Amino acid sequence: MQDRTYYVIDPEGKLRCRKCNVKLEKGRAKFMYLDNGFPVELPVCPRCDFVYVPEALALGKVLSVEKALEDK
Amino acid sequence: MSKIQERGSTHVYKVNKISKEEMDSMVSLCVYEDPPYCNAACPLKLDTRALMKAVAEGDFKKALQIYEKIAPFPVLLSQCCEAPCEGRCRMGEVGEGISIRDIEATVAANGEVTKSGGVFRRKKRQTVALFGSGLFALFLAGEIEKKMYPLTVFCEEADIEAYLKSAAAFLDEQSFAIELKRLKSKDIDFVFGCELSPKFFEEKRADFNVLCASEEAAKCFFKDAQCDRALMYYEAEKLVMGSGSGTMDAAFGAKKAALTVDRLAQKLSPANMRGEEGAVDTRLYTDMSEARELKRVAKSGAVYTKEEAMAEAQRCIQCRCEECMKSCAYLKHYKKHPGLLSREIYNNTQIIMGDHQLNKPMNSCSLCGQCAVVCPNGFDMAQVCHAARRNMVSTDKMPLAPHEFALLDMLFSNEEAFLARPQPGVEKCKYVFFPGCQASAIAPATVRAAYEDLSDRLEGGVALMLGCCGAICDWAGRYEMQETTREFIKNELSKLGDPIIIAGCPTCKKELSESVGGEIIGIWDVLEQIGLPEGAKGLSRPAAMHDSCGARGDEATQNAIRDLAAKLGCELLETEYQRDESPCCGYGGLTMYANREVAHEMAEKCLERSDAPYISYCMACRDRFAREGRESRHILELVYGTDAGNPPDISEKRWNRLTLKNNMLREIWGEESEMAKLPYELNFSDEALEMMDDRMILKSDVIAVIEHMRETGAAIDDEDTGYIMANHRVGNVTFWVALTEDAEGYTVHRAYSHRMKIVKGNG
Repeated sequence: MQDRTYYVIDPEGKLRCRKCNVKLEKGRAKFMYLDNGFPVELPVCPRCDFVYVPEALALGKVLSVEKALEDK
Repeated sequence: MSKIQERGSTHVYKVNKISKEEMDSMVSLCVYEDPPYCNAACPLKLDTRALMKAVAEGDFKKALQIYEKIAPFPVLLSQCCEAPCEGRCRMGEVGEGISIRDIEATVAANGEVTKSGGVFRRKKRQTVALFGSGLFALFLAGEIEKKMYPLTVFCEEADIEAYLKSAAAFLDEQSFAIELKRLKSKDIDFVFGCELSPKFFEEKRADFNVLCASEEAAKCFFKDAQCDRALMYYEAEKLVMGSGSGTMDAAFGAKKAALTVDRLAQKLSPANMRGEEGAVDTRLYTDMSEARELKRVAKSGAVYTKEEAMAEAQRCIQCRCEECMKSCAYLKHYKKHPGLLSREIYNNTQIIMGDHQLNKPMNSCSLCGQCAVVCPNGFDMAQVCHAARRNMVSTDKMPLAPHEFALLDMLFSNEEAFLARPQPGVEKCKYVFFPGCQASAIAPATVRAAYEDLSDRLEGGVALMLGCCGAICDWAGRYEMQETTREFIKNELSKLGDPIIIAGCPTCKKELSESVGGEIIGIWDVLEQIGLPEGAKGLSRPAAMHDSCGARGDEATQNAIRDLAAKLGCELLETEYQRDESPCCGYGGLTMYANREVAHEMAEKCLERSDAPYISYCMACRDRFAREGRESRHILELVYGTDAGNPPDISEKRWNRLTLKNNMLREIWGEESEMAKLPYELNFSDEALEMMDDRMILKSDVIAVIEHMRETGAAIDDEDTGYIMANHRVGNVTFWVALTEDAEGYTVHRAYSHRMKIVKGNG
């Protein structure tokens, strides 16, 4: 389970961290909700660890998983 | 502001806020599943309602299939059944009952003879012998054959025609031919010309598993043969036997006997597990206003033609109790009668591991109590859903997401926007005005005008309390929060010297009566006493009155509001579902937070009663109707000549409450209370505002994100859109904002949120 990645987004060099002034890279992150964890690969700042969650992901996959977990 | 703890997920424990016995007694109030009167009267349990429907639609094939389920020989039965159903037909109370037997006769004569058994049905192994002939034996043969037992009939008759004749000599030629064809099509072995003697019986006895006989034959075999009429069983000789004094008696006897055969074949006691047999009582409620055609359709011949039968069946009103489902948008949405829905919701609360699939329906009821009024037995869905919500909270299984916004809104009302002050210059006030959180949020000018009027005209001083009565946490099932709120309000009232509460909202009146107690009246009661203030004016057009669900069962309030409306010069229209029967606007029970679709249907249901403007006396109703595009006014807006205008969005509602508090503090009590000003300009695109209202994102959430970004510098630039993307977690939610920056400040273009936490790495 630990190795499974549920969702992958590559920033393709189009996102830049304002604080560190470096481009975001595809990096490992984890969504946590109600004691459940889901490893994903999202755009992450290599220096400050800022993780970007795009709108489509938040209102799509994330929302549907939230709803499913809430009713567990 | 206070936060609310998200629910746990690993704790597994059970607390019951509602017992199974309580649930059973509640469910038993629902009569939806009770049989219609015709069906209840029939010992054979013919589904008369379905049969009438099929005939009314001209589907005679289906009608015959329904009839054949209880009648192995439909023509025979329909011609001589005593039709107890007709005597119980409810149409008989307002006119002439449906001619059910005549319709059945037409069905039996016109439907196709369906072949017995079926390709996939297999005969059972246990064999049955039936001795003798006559009506009972014929029916029993049909019933046993239907149950797929290999059956051998031993009779004295010489052939199958004589056998049928022995049972139904009265049939005319055509009917006889139909039933003969039907009998021949059945998979029964006949042995004709037998001499039914004790010796013959003893010879055959060992060859079969179950033995049956007509009474006449049984008496030939055993002089003292006598059966138990409930089982049709002569236990001493293990013989299933019987007769019938009439057709219905023979048919019902055969049905009981066939069940006994079934039990014996399985080597089970014939007396046990028989289910409900024969005619039963029913409590079904029927709305007789559906009855239109009161006179029977006349027969042009000896029997109805197909067309005549159809016309007669169309008179049937299809007795069914759907009173609650007709009036409640929630029950209509889920297409389930409350007996069933309650059972499912109760089961939902008992799940320890697994999906709680009924959470949404449980949280979608507005808890308004309309069903309890319109139901002939007083079934109260609100009681079920409320208890279920409390149960889910007590077991820590209640999701926070559907109610968190409303609960935080309540905390906002009772913390940042809360205000309790005695009237200036009066140490101990006789009264306290409690307008309710929605009034302050939706019509702050009306609240202020009402307070100034009351404090001006009432003797003894009027204090003011701006806050929430606790209905929000009560509806959400958060009983601990409800207790905290109760203590808080009680304490604040005590500081004011426990004055008489003047409620501005019927729900607050009800909630406070139940929680803090003491003397509570409505502002409408006061206005009735002291008269209207100057400038009070009703609507110039006739209007529909929408009664608040908080005032259900409170006739005095309903009357006082109507008196006020009359004094204002309003012309009120008569509509459906008024006073105690009034439906909910969709705000009650937090439906609009848990299920917007249902809340919208509820508002639509309220508005379909009239095309006129609506006058209500609950600010939430006023707001919901205005949001649906209807001209909607709260009665206090008319009393004080204030127009709250277009409905505010979720941020404006909070802003209104806060500014009302600060303005009143400054202008009435002379207390300075600065509203924090932002050190930068903040603008929102129209798209962002719409999006935020839809996604329940407050301006204060957006400000929290921007403040966090300014503090930490954490944000990213999106090359594709040109937006700065920043985020911040407020309580249990992470908010994201897409913005642009200029010299003066920021413009917000988009906003979204998620409840999941995100962490770098593998956690």
